[in-house]
Amino acid sequence: MTDATAGGLSVPAHSKSSLLQQTKLMQQRNAAETRFKAYGIAAIVLSLATLGFMLVSILSDGVSSFFQAKLSFPVELTAQTLDPKGNRAREEMTKITTLGYNKVLAAAFEKELAARGIAVEGQSAKDVAEVISKDAAGDLRAMVLANPAVVGTTIDATVLATGRIDGYLKGRVTMETAERDSNVTPEQLQLADQLRAAGILESVFNWDFLTSPDASDQRPEAAGLGVAILGSAYMMLLVLITCVPVGVAASIYLEEFAPKNFWTDAIEVNISNLAAVPSIVFGILGLAIFINFAGMPNSSTLVGALVLSLMTLPTIIIATRSAIKAVPPSIRDAALGVGASKMQSVFHHVLPLAMPGILTGTILGLASALGETAPLLLIGMVAFVDNYPSAPMEGFLDPATALPVQVYGWAQRADPAFIERSSGAIIVLLIFLVVMNVLAILLRRRFERRW
Amino acid sequence: MNDMRIVERTVDTQKNKISARNVQVYYGANHAIKDLNVDILDKTVTAFIGPSGCGKSTFLRCLNRMNDTIPICKVTGEIKLDGEDIYDPRVDPVQLRAKVGMVFQKPNPFPKSIYDNVAYGPKIHGLIRNKAELDEIVEKSIRKAALWNEVKDRLQSPGTGLSGGQQQRLCIARAIATSPEVLLMDEPCSALDPIATAQVEELIDELRSQFSVVIVTHSMQQAARVSQRTAFFHLGTLVETGETGQIFTNPKDPRTEAYITGRIG
Repeated sequence: MTDATAGGLSVPAHSKSSLLQQTKLMQQRNAAETRFKAYGIAAIVLSLATLGFMLVSILSDGVSSFFQAKLSFPVELTAQTLDPKGNRAREEMTKITTLGYNKVLAAAFEKELAARGIAVEGQSAKDVAEVISKDAAGDLRAMVLANPAVVGTTIDATVLATGRIDGYLKGRVTMETAERDSNVTPEQLQLADQLRAAGILESVFNWDFLTSPDASDQRPEAAGLGVAILGSAYMMLLVLITCVPVGVAASIYLEEFAPKNFWTDAIEVNISNLAAVPSIVFGILGLAIFINFAGMPNSSTLVGALVLSLMTLPTIIIATRSAIKAVPPSIRDAALGVGASKMQSVFHHVLPLAMPGILTGTILGLASALGETAPLLLIGMVAFVDNYPSAPMEGFLDPATALPVQVYGWAQRADPAFIERSSGAIIVLLIFLVVMNVLAILLRRRFERRW
Repeated sequence: MNDMRIVERTVDTQKNKISARNVQVYYGANHAIKDLNVDILDKTVTAFIGPSGCGKSTFLRCLNRMNDTIPICKVTGEIKLDGEDIYDPRVDPVQLRAKVGMVFQKPNPFPKSIYDNVAYGPKIHGLIRNKAELDEIVEKSIRKAALWNEVKDRLQSPGTGLSGGQQQRLCIARAIATSPEVLLMDEPCSALDPIATAQVEELIDELRSQFSVVIVTHSMQQAARVSQRTAFFHLGTLVETGETGQIFTNPKDPRTEAYITGRIG
């Protein structure tokens, strides 16, 4: 420094320029910064727009699935048809199939229409009765068998209308499409208009969508998410039970106790690699190990949960390890310095501080497991499951399906009514994910607030 | 300014607390400490001085086997505490650390309440039978650390909310709550302002009556102020050890003199 000034070296030119005027280089640097900010904002706007578009399209397609067209009219449960021997014995009444109930419903419906003076020209009694869902007789039968005493009385029944009538109320089915549709006639739609005017046909909030099991291709109006929600809940529970203890214990061991050598390095690399393995590979693994080798029942939530656990474990281990790593080493020194054992220092000091990170990682891992479809397809969870799994523990061995698999299954079906159901199922799935993420944030806040 | 004190300081003849013989420390291939022999007296403050990287902190951490947490660190030779080799395979370092407490360079209170910080040691060592005893130990330790008047009304508030100097005194209180026999201090004042430093130094002088204190410091004034004995480290060897007054006024080794007068380091 002193040599330079003493030698009288010329001062670089730019230092003579005014501060009030930006140099060319400065202008370039500022321009680069402005451009970079613009790229960032553009990227954010683009992703928000995509998200917004996705949400709008899902909501516009799916919200209607939470409403369902239902017919309410008095039904006389004629003892003659439903209980020919007249002794109200459940064993004998079970012999009456839904065909008998169909007749009862059709007769009651016809009677109600006649009483209200609703009629459309050129319609047979069969055409009129077709407005009622094929599922209605089954529901009625279940209700009667649950309480045989109602036979012989007249009850106010609320039954599903067919999917086409439901679609007409929602604007999916029009007179023009009905012309070309073998499942519905324009006359039936006219009848629906009159029924709606008379207050018999109504679109009501559809709790059954959340509670009832899946239904066959012909009865989209009856299809629900009950089994899928239950199956997903069972699997999340099992994933939580299997993954968290194993994942957290493995992370603590690797991070705090394991010697640093070739083997632990290899394990570390492999855990990172496992997190990047395509999920369908875990499905094949699950199929080979749990079903073919261990002989567990396929489609069961237990197998599904084990496969999802394999998939989630690396995520949880990585998140937990980084949370443990983030705890300042001075805390460990402090604990060891007062004579805590390694285990005490970990469990009394390191783990509580790492808890927010561990919880967040775990819940986000669970959330990704909740949305996972591919491995479940391979272990047979895509099957049509009409029965609820029973209560835990044996319920874990019962076949069930899962929310994302149900979305996939419905999206494949031909009837457009299932597209609506599919979007509705996505909404339910998204609500679950949002709830889990909010939970992660809340838990994080709560644990961090303890200084 | 402290010359008078240094000259007039009397050193009681104390028995040996720790004696190290022929200690070698390796960090992997790096030979960090070579042929170290030193005696640390009971109820005396011993200061380790020397330029950065000379091995004084390393040796300090050998004294309570904190180096065990570093996988590549290897210690040979013999370090005896009251005649027992602390590197004997039968010795559990956890048990050793209850006898040889440590205060670190940066204040590192647990993110818990002030009370829990001090109570933690006695609790895990089973030194107490009931809450009343624990309360007593906590109060006594905080009083000894000259912190009681400042925190007595807020024992349940977080220890991390204290000022730097208070935090360091809290760490000292935590270290003495387990009634150690030796207290190791690794540059305890390096993160503190002059006033907090003065408080901690005063405290160290008081602690001398009960513990053998070993302090690593970069400040030669501090070594001169608080210690009775001083050991000068240079490049991994112990160059000279002796009474503090003698080291600072009449060093035997030219390297010690060079360091004290500011020519190396």
